[in-house]
Amino acid sequence: MKEQDKTPDDRRGFVMALGGAIATAFAAIGSIILPGSAAASLLDDEDENDSEKVGVKVQYGMVIDVRRCIGCHACTVACKSEFDVPPGVNRSWVEYTEKGQYPNVGRSFLPRLCNHCSEPLCVDVCPTNATYRREQDGIIAVDHGVCIACKYCMHACPYDARFLDPVNEWVDKCDFCIHRVSKGLAPSCVNTCVGGARIFGNLADPDSAVSMLIASNRVSVLRSEMGTFPNVYYIDADFTDEVDRRRPEVREVRVITHRRHKERT
Amino acid sequence: MINRRNVLKLGATTAIGVPLLKTKKARAHQVEYEAGRDYAYLSGTERDPVATTCALCPSRCAAIAYKENDYVVKIEGNPASKRTMGKLCAKGQAGVNQIYDPDRILTPLKRKGKRGEGKWEKISWDTALEEITDRLKKMRDQGEPEKFMFHHGWISASADRLINKVFLPAYGTGTVASNSCLGQSARLTAHELTWGGYEDSWDFENTRYVLNFGSNVMEAHTNHVALSRRLSIAQVDRNVKMVTFDVRLSNTGSKSDVWIQIQPGTDCAVVLAMCHVIMSEELYRGAGEEFLAFCQVTPDPNASTAEKVRALKDHLASFTPEWAEGISGVPAKQIREITVEFANTRPACVISSRGVSAQHNGVQAERAIQMLAAITGNIDNPGGRCLGVLPEWHYPTGPEEKPAVRKLDILNGFEGESVLAAHDIGHQVFNMIKEGSAGRPEVYMWYNYNPVFSNGNSQRNIDILKDESLIPFTVAVTPFYDESAALADLILPDAMYLECFDFEDGISPDQIAEYAIRQPVVPPSGEARDFKDVCCELAERMEFPLGFDSAEAFVEQTCNLTPVTKKVGGFNAMTTLGVRSDQEAKPTFYSYKKLINEEQLNKEGIIFDEASGVFWNWQQAGVQSEQDAIKQGYRHSPDAHKGYVAQKIGDKVYSGFKPARTNKSGYFEIYSSTLIEKGLPALPVYTSIPEHKELKDNELILTTFRVNVQTLSRTQNCKWLDEIDVENDHGWINPKTAKALDLSDGDWVKLKTDLGEIKTHIIVTHNVVPGVIAISSHGGRWEYGRYASGKKAPYGIELQAPYDSLMWWENEKAHPNWVIDNVSEPISGQQRWMDTVVTVSKA
Repeated sequence: MKEQDKTPDDRRGFVMALGGAIATAFAAIGSIILPGSAAASLLDDEDENDSEKVGVKVQYGMVIDVRRCIGCHACTVACKSEFDVPPGVNRSWVEYTEKGQYPNVGRSFLPRLCNHCSEPLCVDVCPTNATYRREQDGIIAVDHGVCIACKYCMHACPYDARFLDPVNEWVDKCDFCIHRVSKGLAPSCVNTCVGGARIFGNLADPDSAVSMLIASNRVSVLRSEMGTFPNVYYIDADFTDEVDRRRPEVREVRVITHRRHKERT
Repeated sequence: MINRRNVLKLGATTAIGVPLLKTKKARAHQVEYEAGRDYAYLSGTERDPVATTCALCPSRCAAIAYKENDYVVKIEGNPASKRTMGKLCAKGQAGVNQIYDPDRILTPLKRKGKRGEGKWEKISWDTALEEITDRLKKMRDQGEPEKFMFHHGWISASADRLINKVFLPAYGTGTVASNSCLGQSARLTAHELTWGGYEDSWDFENTRYVLNFGSNVMEAHTNHVALSRRLSIAQVDRNVKMVTFDVRLSNTGSKSDVWIQIQPGTDCAVVLAMCHVIMSEELYRGAGEEFLAFCQVTPDPNASTAEKVRALKDHLASFTPEWAEGISGVPAKQIREITVEFANTRPACVISSRGVSAQHNGVQAERAIQMLAAITGNIDNPGGRCLGVLPEWHYPTGPEEKPAVRKLDILNGFEGESVLAAHDIGHQVFNMIKEGSAGRPEVYMWYNYNPVFSNGNSQRNIDILKDESLIPFTVAVTPFYDESAALADLILPDAMYLECFDFEDGISPDQIAEYAIRQPVVPPSGEARDFKDVCCELAERMEFPLGFDSAEAFVEQTCNLTPVTKKVGGFNAMTTLGVRSDQEAKPTFYSYKKLINEEQLNKEGIIFDEASGVFWNWQQAGVQSEQDAIKQGYRHSPDAHKGYVAQKIGDKVYSGFKPARTNKSGYFEIYSSTLIEKGLPALPVYTSIPEHKELKDNELILTTFRVNVQTLSRTQNCKWLDEIDVENDHGWINPKTAKALDLSDGDWVKLKTDLGEIKTHIIVTHNVVPGVIAISSHGGRWEYGRYASGKKAPYGIELQAPYDSLMWWENEKAHPNWVIDNVSEPISGQQRWMDTVVTVSKA
């Protein structure tokens, strides 16, 4: 949560979330420290000393450098093909925001995925513990065998990152490509990102690329007021939504989600 | 098969996604992930990789396709590719959808009933090829091979060589057309007139400023991944400024520092005004002045730089920014500011594309852009607008004795349609067939091409292709049932690109040629066959064997013949890695500056032409005798450019800018010796679009565009792309225009021209200039299977539940080609996509 403190434009969200954060702090710390070097192989860091570190913390996370995003949807399709995601639902997608009045206009891109929150509301509400936070790396995963498709988690998620798989009839979402990450590969969306906007790594390691990007840039997270402590950080993101159209200085906003659900959440 | 997996692992570790951080410490921690491997997400078993090359757009990106239980499940970029830096776009990855498209054609189909009625019977390959052989052989034996017309779209480099350079010449027909008039021919022609036969490549790796006229490089360029990745890196890591002129805010415009709104078809005026500022403010001094030594600016090949400067100043004197403002709507002040900024930032890269060239003044605009880059010294330099570098494949050329090629004179449009027509005018072929005076083909075969959908005037295309009295026999070679295949007499099910052998020749943005091959990831589905294999068999059947019996043999021999690929281990090595370049090669810049020595000029047949300063070989140019050659001179001997050797500049002789299709000199011709002889102004000028001069209140200019998840006509059967593309189903109209026409967001409107009308709903958006309606060019499919059109193809497979009901999008897009006529840019014959006038009213 150190990273969260550093986020300059995020104080309000932090204060609101403080209560919940303290309440679960013990649990969080307990789960994030691994006793041995089991996690070392999962680390993205090349440092030779890593394998000798004891008690390494792993919290996988992503930095999305929106300055580099060209809105090409390569990540969306990589994800579709990696998991054979059925039509109509997405684990990852790219939203566009169009703002302004002619001739002063702009369009920005917002790649989206599960935020793998440190305080996941979906885990809180799951009646069967099908959705859980992996102790070894902080990834929020779904155990499909235990999921009863009650959709509580879908309603609880402030990011609309979850969906009911229309083929398998279980709830699903991004899992940071556990099957790739555990084999030393980057998540599929990161691997294919044409602009190089998606950067993946261990947020618990202050020397990792993601941590250094967070430390050296103005970053933000989505809906920080929810107190979920996302592990997906954005550089230079524009979260303007259509509600902002009411602001006199914004006037024109159009959000294009590029998925079946047409509203930004 | 060769064990590709291990080799891929060796060569495939690559730095991914991590930007250059500011501190040294940060750099030491760049993450190295492996690529070129993948695992099944449920079982965790390793997926089986095959290195191949994408074919969904002209970029031809190196790719790795992964199989699970012999099914293709995923395609990603090949990390060994320097061109793409291991990346692949959304389209390329969606190739998985195509190979298992439930509407794919898997057996040869012969029409039953009337042409276009949609009734088919399955026939065997043997029957199909027998019928084709009978017809082709008869025409060949009768001495009329030209009545076999072959028309193709974007095809692989090996298909071009095997079919266009070997099979068809060996058969004897020259009635062969491409689709270049639909996208590139105005640009190519402008390039041929100025710097010869090179495509342009943009060096974003070294540039400090990007000035863009009408290119959507971040979404739809013919080298999309390679260029957009480098551009993105340049913008963020090196703070490279980018300025984009466009009528519509494309993603490229939105990623630019400035989007400058400009009236359609007026870029040329702005470019000329920028040249005016550069000359009048002496901003050409330095690199520009130096480069002028290699430019022809006046009729005199020996003119001094001072004379050239004088000539340019005189020519450009009246093209002031104020003049351009009146035409383009771009404020004169802004033109001046951007010109000064651009000219003072070196190196700068001037880029351009279809937005500028696919209209009435396309060649002039593109030539003006070449001039702008030239007078600022930004031609073929690191960071500038460069001569594209491609692989040089050495391929087997087939039978030694080939018949004299005959062709029908229907490829270059109507009399007076275009001044040069150096590239064929494919969009007029149907009209010329209908008109009939130059003869008609008896067999019209098309391959990787959808003439009905891709050309303007869709209805006339349908009517002509349907008419058996005009074209007696039609053959479609395609994996998918598209709008044109529906009008064929015979459909040959082509293998999909993931089932083929090929070699490819994409442009290298780092100026080092990259050699890539394509190989089958899986065998062809059903009875589909690679058409290149079919050509080998047809040649056998007609008794002129090509010397290789399959595409695989052709590609194998080519890899073993080509020096660079031979050096790395030939065909076997290429099948493991998929892509290679010469490790010792250095980036090619300033290639025109190569000095030519006495020895190279003292060869038989080489003479010096005083009038142009060109050394040329009259024998290679096919001139009868040296006397004829001297008498006619370089400029007036037909095909003299084929004998071009070098250009004398001052007291030195340089390799210069080698001509390709016209007898231009070895200078960079700002002053076009070719155009002046055709009675056109030799220096670039602006001509306004005649149809735009007097527009009525309800008339708008229709401009077309492409988005990042679709190609013009190939990818609409990819469900992963269609569901992203759903929101592009409307015409874009500026609020001011909407108000004037009493239209609001979501309204359905009719767009009408002499050809008919289409309906589309509109989005009222601030992202387009007033007076324009912009529509994507790839929508409105009426065939191509269920995902593209909502309509199953003949023999399309029923999907099981729940897959049968998962398609949630509807196909409400309008296809603009119903109302765009087959009209040519007057110099090159390029189809004019960007300047059609339409009458707009509420539907």
